[in-house]
Amino acid sequence: MTGPEDARCVLHVDMDSFFVSVEILSHPELRGRPVVVGGTGARGVVASASYEARAYGVHSAMPTTRARRLCPQAVFLQGDHRRYSDVSRRVMAIFGSFTPLVEPVSLDEAFLDVTGSDRLHGSGPEIGSAIRREVKASEGLECSVGVAPNKFVAKLASEVAKPSASPAGPVPGPGLVTVTSDGVEAFLRPLPVQKLWGVGPATLARLERLGVSTVGDLAVLPKPAIQAALGEAVGAQLHDLAHARDDRPVVPDQVPRSISHEETFATDHRSRPDLERELVGMADSVGTRLRTLGYSGRTVTVKVRFGDFRTITRSSTLSVPIDSSALIAREAKRLFRTVDPAPGVRLIGVAVSGLAADCGARQLSLHGLDQQLWEDADEAVDQIRARFGEDAIGPAVTVGPSGIRPKLTGDRQWGPHRE
Amino acid sequence: MKFRCERDVLVDALTTTGRAVSGRGGALPVLSGIRFALEDDALVMTGSDLDLTISVSLTVAGSTDGSAVIPAKLAADIARALEPGAVQIEAKDNEAIITAGRSEFSVHLAPAEEFPHLAGPTGKSVTLNAAEFSEGLRQVVPAASADDSRPILTGVLLAAEADGLRLVATDSYRLAVRDLPGASVLEEGQEVLVPSRALGELTRALGDAAEVVLVLGERDATFDIGATRLTTRLIEGEFPNYTGLIPTSQPNRLTVGRTPLIDAMRRVKLLAREATPVRLVMQPDRLELIAITQDVGQAHEELDAKYEGSDLTVAFNPEYLLDGLEVTPGDEVTLETVDALKPALIRSAEAVDFLYLLMPVRVS
Repeated sequence: MTGPEDARCVLHVDMDSFFVSVEILSHPELRGRPVVVGGTGARGVVASASYEARAYGVHSAMPTTRARRLCPQAVFLQGDHRRYSDVSRRVMAIFGSFTPLVEPVSLDEAFLDVTGSDRLHGSGPEIGSAIRREVKASEGLECSVGVAPNKFVAKLASEVAKPSASPAGPVPGPGLVTVTSDGVEAFLRPLPVQKLWGVGPATLARLERLGVSTVGDLAVLPKPAIQAALGEAVGAQLHDLAHARDDRPVVPDQVPRSISHEETFATDHRSRPDLERELVGMADSVGTRLRTLGYSGRTVTVKVRFGDFRTITRSSTLSVPIDSSALIAREAKRLFRTVDPAPGVRLIGVAVSGLAADCGARQLSLHGLDQQLWEDADEAVDQIRARFGEDAIGPAVTVGPSGIRPKLTGDRQWGPHRE
Repeated sequence: MKFRCERDVLVDALTTTGRAVSGRGGALPVLSGIRFALEDDALVMTGSDLDLTISVSLTVAGSTDGSAVIPAKLAADIARALEPGAVQIEAKDNEAIITAGRSEFSVHLAPAEEFPHLAGPTGKSVTLNAAEFSEGLRQVVPAASADDSRPILTGVLLAAEADGLRLVATDSYRLAVRDLPGASVLEEGQEVLVPSRALGELTRALGDAAEVVLVLGERDATFDIGATRLTTRLIEGEFPNYTGLIPTSQPNRLTVGRTPLIDAMRRVKLLAREATPVRLVMQPDRLELIAITQDVGQAHEELDAKYEGSDLTVAFNPEYLLDGLEVTPGDEVTLETVDALKPALIRSAEAVDFLYLLMPVRVS
């Protein structure tokens, strides 16, 4: 048990328009202009937008074509996932210098539990300010911090701390918002109820029928009434959240659910050999990441999205966990054999899930040759890449006119480049 | 089609044939049903997923000949829920009317003409001792692979040996081989690869039957056990050469009581979580079992054993080791090996017709 809730102090740190801000560091001439990072091609999606672009209604996850219509004068950048993850690693390391309890949520946000850190680093708000100063000083980036007794409120507080967009330009936010346990109810009461985790359109409609539009409206309802309207589990959860009860711990070093690589093509692919080559390249990328992170997984999944957006997945679970690029590729190709690419494939992806940290133990194989050979090959590939760079070696299918081009993390993640 | 029979008979037949019906809703929707074919008083019920087909022949009180395909799961659920006693099934228009006592169900039928026509077996039939065959299957089937990624390894090899039949299965981590002397099913040098799933179902169907009749076709194998017939597609392709894997002489030899080792393994493996192995520390006159899972804890147990060879520690996947120990006959087992990275040969100290070869886990 985590003890009484007011004993905890949780920070939610969220980088301000992270990808765009990193781009502006290397292109200072873009500062103050609408900038969009994402897939720049016809099928791309927006990954990050500057506050200047947001003033035009551009937001992340929006198709890039729509963003272009809304804000034709914006600068559209393809983005450099590897650079963002390098910066992210350094930012997370700054968080880690204040508390060992850092739970990254994505590249640009994390929860920190600083309950035990006050004697060393000061109170929650003091730590929040120190983090903002340090991230600015060492990386030149802004972030917003929410300080609260639990994760749920901390996340809402960091949202309030953020800058906002306006036609006249970005309006700076407070940067740091602290919600104490005494102030929690007052903080939540005026918020629209859809800010609560788990309130989607369907739940919202039911809540509106009960006359609930703010968190405060919900908080005055007795739990059984909410449960009667929304069901046992969802009702109980929303009742807890409306009263700011959230005892989820901050968990560092979580094993990711899966490691995946997927890409959207500029035009639909119909050729099986072409798609199989893509799968091999993706398996190489996934395998390399698994081995770098020290995980292996038992389930391989192939995802296929057709031209009409119909999306299917095929997966299989193996008897022993794997991290070998060649074995992932073999399994992905086998799964793909049951899929007919004739209607035209828009997106394809490979994922390995059911991950566990490699405990150093490896089940040996009787017909060992093929398994152990591939393991040796993977090790050699990893060493060559560590020494000579990612494009020093790769599967034969990644060789093109311009040399070896292995698929890198985040390659065409937001859709293909503009031709 | 119209007939009456006892509920219990119907429930058994639906359960047996239902095992061949795949839940995955494959290419042919009609295969989610059981085909009933009635001629006079002879009813044949058939379930199939095209790879595996199970049919049961029953004697019922027939009144109108004909055939119908009734949804398998629904029919079985209904039959199980009925009061004991007589059940009447009548196929009329597009419905099956199922009545028993004062209960009546009408269930939509699947088009019977779409149910694939399954030819009867052709070829020479051989009769096998069911108890022996069943024991052999129980010993080797668990070693077959469950991964569809290597289809060949999901099969059990039936191979002709000089003086009988040999059953072999491997998932590439372990290999199980059982000889059935005197059972000559195959031509000399002949071998077939039978899906382990079908053989698992066969083991179930064998129950305490006295004999099983086997007919090998070009592409399928048919097993008749009394009124139940199981037909399975054979796997095409070449089974890996396993004979070269079986070592002939090994310097280190452990002899230990089988039941005490199984019991100790079951205890110790509680602390072998996730992919962590159990270590066997072999020393003269004793065997130590150790399991350590980081952040969880450890388990340790010592057993009396006879050991000839140099001190050696070998780590195994506890499930794989238990799978082998549980099907090895006799009171004592021997484990022979070269070192911690080579396959260990597990056999009964008494009987010679079964062996289990297991690759260790490499611990770094």
